[in-house]
Amino acid sequence: MRTYILKRLLLLIPTLIGITLITFFVVQLAPGNPVSRKLQVGEGIKAEAITQDIVEQTKKLYGLDKPIYVRYWIWVKQIATLNFGRSYTDHRPVIQKIEERLPVTLALNIISIFLVYTISIPLGVYSAVKQGDIQDRVITFFLFVLYSIPSFWLAVILIYFLGGGEFWDVFPIYGILSPGAENFPFYKKALDFLWHITLPVICLTYGDLAYLSRYQRGSLLEVLHEDFLRTARAKGLPESKVIFKHALRNALIPIVTIIASILPAAIGGSVIIESIFSIPGIGKLGFEAVLSRDYPVIMAIATISAFLTLAGILISDLAYVLVDPRISFEGRK
Amino acid sequence: MSKLYLILLLLFALFLASCKPAGGESDSSVDQYSKYDNTKPVDGDWLIYNLGEEPGTLNPITATDAYQSIVNDGNVYETLVKRDDRTLEIIPLLAESWKISDDKLVYTFFIRKGIKWHDGVPFTARDVVFSYNKIMDPNVDAPHLRSYYKDIKKVEALNDYTVRFTYARPYFLALEFCGGMPIVPEHIFKNGDFNTNPAGRAPVGTGPYRFLRWDTGREIVLERNENYWGKKPHIKRIVFKLISDPTVALQVLKREEIDFTGLTAIQWARQTSSQRFKKNFNKFSYFTPNYSFIGWNMRRPFFSDRRVRTAMTYLVNRKLILEKLLYNLGDVVTNPFYVNSPEYDHSIETYPYDPERAKKLLDEAGWIDHDGDGIRDKDGIKFEFEFLIPSGSVTGEQISTILKEELKKVGIRMNIRKIEWAVFVKQLDERKFDAVTLGWSMGVESDPYQIWHSSQAEKGSNFVGFKNKEADRLIEEARTEFNREKRIELYRKFSEIVHEEQPYTFLFCRESTVALHKRFKGVNVYPLGPDHLEWFVPLPLQKYGQVTMSP
Repeated sequence: MRTYILKRLLLLIPTLIGITLITFFVVQLAPGNPVSRKLQVGEGIKAEAITQDIVEQTKKLYGLDKPIYVRYWIWVKQIATLNFGRSYTDHRPVIQKIEERLPVTLALNIISIFLVYTISIPLGVYSAVKQGDIQDRVITFFLFVLYSIPSFWLAVILIYFLGGGEFWDVFPIYGILSPGAENFPFYKKALDFLWHITLPVICLTYGDLAYLSRYQRGSLLEVLHEDFLRTARAKGLPESKVIFKHALRNALIPIVTIIASILPAAIGGSVIIESIFSIPGIGKLGFEAVLSRDYPVIMAIATISAFLTLAGILISDLAYVLVDPRISFEGRK
Repeated sequence: MSKLYLILLLLFALFLASCKPAGGESDSSVDQYSKYDNTKPVDGDWLIYNLGEEPGTLNPITATDAYQSIVNDGNVYETLVKRDDRTLEIIPLLAESWKISDDKLVYTFFIRKGIKWHDGVPFTARDVVFSYNKIMDPNVDAPHLRSYYKDIKKVEALNDYTVRFTYARPYFLALEFCGGMPIVPEHIFKNGDFNTNPAGRAPVGTGPYRFLRWDTGREIVLERNENYWGKKPHIKRIVFKLISDPTVALQVLKREEIDFTGLTAIQWARQTSSQRFKKNFNKFSYFTPNYSFIGWNMRRPFFSDRRVRTAMTYLVNRKLILEKLLYNLGDVVTNPFYVNSPEYDHSIETYPYDPERAKKLLDEAGWIDHDGDGIRDKDGIKFEFEFLIPSGSVTGEQISTILKEELKKVGIRMNIRKIEWAVFVKQLDERKFDAVTLGWSMGVESDPYQIWHSSQAEKGSNFVGFKNKEADRLIEEARTEFNREKRIELYRKFSEIVHEEQPYTFLFCRESTVALHKRFKGVNVYPLGPDHLEWFVPLPLQKYGQVTMSP
């Protein structure tokens, strides 16, 4: 087991280098440059734009006049000391910009992922056990409806009907804290935060929830037809024990695969939801960075996501051992 | 200009009049705001202003976005001179007067005495020289500003209160450029790297408001500078909120959680007309210096012919687009100057929508459907071209769809291509396009050189490739003509040439539309929009700030 983990960890390094190399080249060779965004005014462009001069001078300032492989080397040397460089838009350290936005994104995503799992697994189990019954059909119908609703549409509807104005005034519709919340005691501040993120969390959750519970239903159904379950029933085990002890444990294996995507998902923001609810999160930062060709920010977010994805895959591989006794790394020798 | 301004005021008056509820309605809260219309200005209250997007930085020299200037300009930072709200003439600000040498090469500004930076350090001519040196420093991220000042030979402080700019050649916009140069405090910016100076997130200026705090992604707060050298504004605090989605912004406005926000055309026309809205809010519209256009790449075989370009203009139903898609929030323009300035030539008639005349012109130019495939051709070249629009440009999308149908009817195939902004700019730079729609945003007085002079056709902003000897001469002559009347005469001739040649199909000057809470009084709508420095809230209507007011 230990040698296996060590091997996997060592393998991370070349994989990570490969990912960053490709990302670096794709991002920097894409048409456009960091200057173009600076000339934009609303839907128009600044009339005094002496584009050529500005482009050349800015390139020099940002070190973009060097050949691309030199730039990659410089970047790798920086990254080795965990220095992500400075953003082109405001010259602040990239890591500082990410740190500023990470807590909100993390909170939103962790709550949303938690809800997705705690609701969708029981829902999937229930619907598999009741396969073909009216309950199953109703649940299936609603899950498909949920799955097909675009989140930006639902967000606007929620804001319109629950956000004051003409209809009910239940939830705040922008930002993450009320004005003056800095001075609230801790528990009140936490409540205020939860109250603010209710609508965005709903929008982030329902799609994955629909997807994952269908997934759970499918994988449990497959197991339910296995011989060992017939055996379990035949020896007189109560149905609840058959389902939750014998069936579910086997049906969880495919779900474990999905854990690999949880880590990167926790820091990946949603551009649409963040923009609609004016939440200062990672999604908007990344999106803005791509539009303005803010290479250091793009690379930092890409690298962190790549690392977390790789770590997630490793963790989910290890988690298989926990849920499935048939899998063992030692046995492979 | 004054005429247009009058019309605008009239419209505004009409609008105000129409805001009053119909006779039968006896809602006492309607009078809640209007009964204080004639009270004396008092200090107090806050203005909650929706900025929309977050500025990149509040360093006025490295910043490039419009949000930075909304926060900084005239609030935190000030310049030597500014334009008067009402007349748009250049008037003193930090400089109490200035002198221009007879050869128009030397500009001497006499700085007001007793002005202090927000941290108490006196403001002097040395700060101006320092700011100029920083703008020109290649290590400072300000190439977008350098082009304005490249004709300056030197800037020197003659003493603490006199600063002199010496130009290499005369230029009619020199006063506006050097007088409008952003000025930052030397004592704060002199140490360390300019671009990363912490004052970029906590600006220190000389203006009527001082910076209080900036919570990333939430708000930027300014408070009144109690030691301001000039007339202090009445509003004690300005809170800039960052609500980027216009639907949400309008709803937050309706909840009275913000006082001021921009409106989209459809919001202006459809979603802000209820009695309930009008009870609490006023709407204003005004023209800022901008215009949109369709540019025809004159290097292409079809668009090299003046008759074809004119025919294209005949095919764009601008009145209809303005009315149906833009809810009449704008004017159809015919020449490249600011509609509220005397440079703009109102006497030029727009080409009407007239497909018949367009067909005739196309026939005359030799673009006839020779092979009967439904598409016009000439010398074996089919009249098929690509129409480039930046993605996200709503107007561009709407116009292109209408134009495509219109062109199909006369036998021209147009393919719409939507590309992301950064790539779009690159295509323009490399002149890789057939036709394009875009808007220019400019100054109150603008110099057509950068966009229309033939020397800019290769590398400058003249990407359509407009080359006209007479136009070149007029542009060059105007650059050194310091008499505005004479310059206007030159520009009138230039505008006629542009109208005749139609390198652009000029579209619209769009109106800016905003909504403001009714408790604010003393609100005037100037050509460039309302000025919050003169607003006040009558004491009984004041909403914020009473509790937290410092003793």
